[in-house]
Amino acid sequence: MLSEVINPELFASAIRMATPLALAAIGGTICERSGVVNIALEGIMLIGAFFGVVVALAAGSTHISWLVAASPWLGILAAVVASVLMAGLHAFASITLRMDQVVSGTAINLLALGLTGFLMVTLYGHPGTTDPIPVAINAVFNFPTPAGGLLATAWSWIDQIVFSYTPIVYAAMIAAVVGQWALFHTRWGLHLRALGEHPRAADTVGIRVLRGRYVAVLISGVLGGLAGANLSIEQVGSFNENMTAGRGFIALAANIFGRWTPIGSYLASLLFGFADALQIKLQAFQSVVQIPVQFFLMLPYVLTVVVLAGVMGRAVAPAEVGKPYEKE
Amino acid sequence: MSVLALREITKTFPGVVANERVSMSLDAGEIVALLGENGAGKSTLMNVAYGLLAADSGEVLVDGEPVRIRSPRDAIAVGIGMVHQHFMLVQPFTVTENIVLGQEPGRFGVIDFAEARKRVREISERNGLEVDPDARIADLSVGMQQRVEILKALYRGARILILDEPTAVLTPQEVRELFEVLRALVDSGLAIVLITHKLDEVMLAADRVIVMRDGRVVGETTPSVTDERGLARLMVGRDVVLRVERGSPHPGDVLLEVDDLVVDDERGLQAVRGVGLKVRGGEIVGIAGVDGNGQRELVEAIVGLRRPKSGRISLKGREITHAPVRETIAAGVSHVPEDRQRRGLVLQFDLAENLILGDHARPPVATFGVVHRKVVEDIAERRIRDYDVRTPSWRVLAGNLSGGNQQKLVLARELGRDPELLVTAQPTRGLDVGAIEFVHRRILAERDEGKAVLMVSMELDEVMALSDRILVMYRGEFVAEFAAGEADAERIGLFMTGGTTREAEAAVAGGGAG
Repeated sequence: MLSEVINPELFASAIRMATPLALAAIGGTICERSGVVNIALEGIMLIGAFFGVVVALAAGSTHISWLVAASPWLGILAAVVASVLMAGLHAFASITLRMDQVVSGTAINLLALGLTGFLMVTLYGHPGTTDPIPVAINAVFNFPTPAGGLLATAWSWIDQIVFSYTPIVYAAMIAAVVGQWALFHTRWGLHLRALGEHPRAADTVGIRVLRGRYVAVLISGVLGGLAGANLSIEQVGSFNENMTAGRGFIALAANIFGRWTPIGSYLASLLFGFADALQIKLQAFQSVVQIPVQFFLMLPYVLTVVVLAGVMGRAVAPAEVGKPYEKE
Repeated sequence: MSVLALREITKTFPGVVANERVSMSLDAGEIVALLGENGAGKSTLMNVAYGLLAADSGEVLVDGEPVRIRSPRDAIAVGIGMVHQHFMLVQPFTVTENIVLGQEPGRFGVIDFAEARKRVREISERNGLEVDPDARIADLSVGMQQRVEILKALYRGARILILDEPTAVLTPQEVRELFEVLRALVDSGLAIVLITHKLDEVMLAADRVIVMRDGRVVGETTPSVTDERGLARLMVGRDVVLRVERGSPHPGDVLLEVDDLVVDDERGLQAVRGVGLKVRGGEIVGIAGVDGNGQRELVEAIVGLRRPKSGRISLKGREITHAPVRETIAAGVSHVPEDRQRRGLVLQFDLAENLILGDHARPPVATFGVVHRKVVEDIAERRIRDYDVRTPSWRVLAGNLSGGNQQKLVLARELGRDPELLVTAQPTRGLDVGAIEFVHRRILAERDEGKAVLMVSMELDEVMALSDRILVMYRGEFVAEFAAGEADAERIGLFMTGGTTREAEAAVAGGGAG
């Protein structure tokens, strides 16, 4: 039984599961470092996931062969655009209008849920799940499997854990590394962090506070869009209503657990992804051990609560996070 | 030719004229003090010069040329730097990061931290302002942080430096150091504006004084031809008693007794380490010390806001160590807290409601949980009159009063209750000379009525002016005790900062701690 649970597929699955969380968590990190709480990530991801599939389905059902071939890629692009627009709404409400950021984020989450449900029925005539997209996105690498022996076993581990993924999975890893570097080694990063800690100080040395915060929120829109596209286009191949299922919130937890750093966010997401992958594996044994499937489904969320309870009080959030900035 | 000149600056806020046709000029190589009470318009004027506020009319000239300053960025570009009262420093950042923020060396958006550190070191050595470029701001003392603020302005090429109430947060030693640094800076060609309402500092540090009142310049003088009394008269517009007459104390029975008290702070670290003290009726005991040495925790423990770890607090022989606040109040303890806006008042409540807080649950204000509005209003009107709170009526919200009137409001409530013991921290923080005089008189009046007063203050002058006995608190312990008139500011200041010099050690050996 153990080898049926612990095998390369488990780890590969963990990394795949971690991807949407990590992208959203890095988006949350960038957002919060600039001083804006983004609990709208859930809705931003959901909108991305939905419009990604809508465009992929539309382009894929034409009879123009290049358009069909490009359909999943157009879907990803559409996901990013839709999510950026949604993030823009959050930015406008919380930065320009100085609305309470939690209220704005909650409103956007509700809006995203309602809008996607409504458009499902309007566009496809039924709620629930869309048709599968006609063209899927394949793994980036595709190496031949060598013939038997110990070497082949070793290779299959490496191949599955390192080379088996679709593009957005790698994009998330790159986002973590590049984000980390940018946050701590570039002007943009230093300014961004100053905005979240002491916006007035930043203002008095000529850094544009509102613009900097807008950029941060829109970047989280791009990452949230990729996260949504990864879920619907790369992982599932169709859109389910409310398919994000709280991942936006788990991502915020991962951001905190990762101490507001991109790499930390990625690693924390890996933990949650692993819990998710494990519960899927364990579900296969429910007939053996007589545990209801809901118990396994619960695990990642329980882990979230446990992790947050353990880390809270020790991790220090940016000082001015959640507070709108107003000139004197 | 003056490096900075302001001509006919007018700035109004809704309902208030903050600056009315104000003109002033500043030359290289001089320190000009801009003196005035709170609300006189000093900070407004300087915020206009620094681009934080836009003037309604008037012009700013730098080196004789009119300039348009619409943001701090413009001000920095023409060589104006400002050190704000509340520091503009990013706490988790390093000294270097703070200094170069907004003008980081490097290429293609990548910061060259080695170069940044080098420049910071250069500029700090050139101006004799030693700092550790890699220290985090959060780990630095307030005096050090101020130094970083000055370096920040110098890094940006400031030739004109504006300091807004720079000494409010410093120890006497740090004040002296600051003035030495400022003197060295003007000697090297800078021009400095010192915004202040402290007369002794003006006398000590300024080459020239410009006095403001009600948004206008009411006078200009030099310290050599005037004294503190003259400055105060210009500033307030009437004769002010700078140091209220104290008279001799008539100590009675011990009212407050604290034994071996240990109190933790929020982080669970010991903030008060086993201190003991006694306060008699008819006596003011002042606690001097740098902020953050356990004074806050001590006060909160005595008034019942914080649970002591161990030890004993008693009032008139009755133990109140773990008594809830309501019982502490009933036992006769009044508290005028350090932060009147957060702890002393409910800003969204009207004056009457604020004036009965603490009495709100017992007769005559309330019976069986029902508040009697008429009684409340009567009490409010009486207390407002007795304590000279300047307000059109008790219906005004506390948040709309000036700082001085808010403090009178707190005093009116706490003293109006006729307590046995008054515990107060920073009773005159941020108040101007007129209001300070009032508060000091009231505290002395309590003493003269035979009440016990325990006062914590970071203002050494205040402690020395009012206290019959002075305790110096350092790292959670009393490290020295003086009778009134026995100690000078220098000596107390040494104990406040740890007293490592031989002089202080000798004094410890001779004096003994309370």
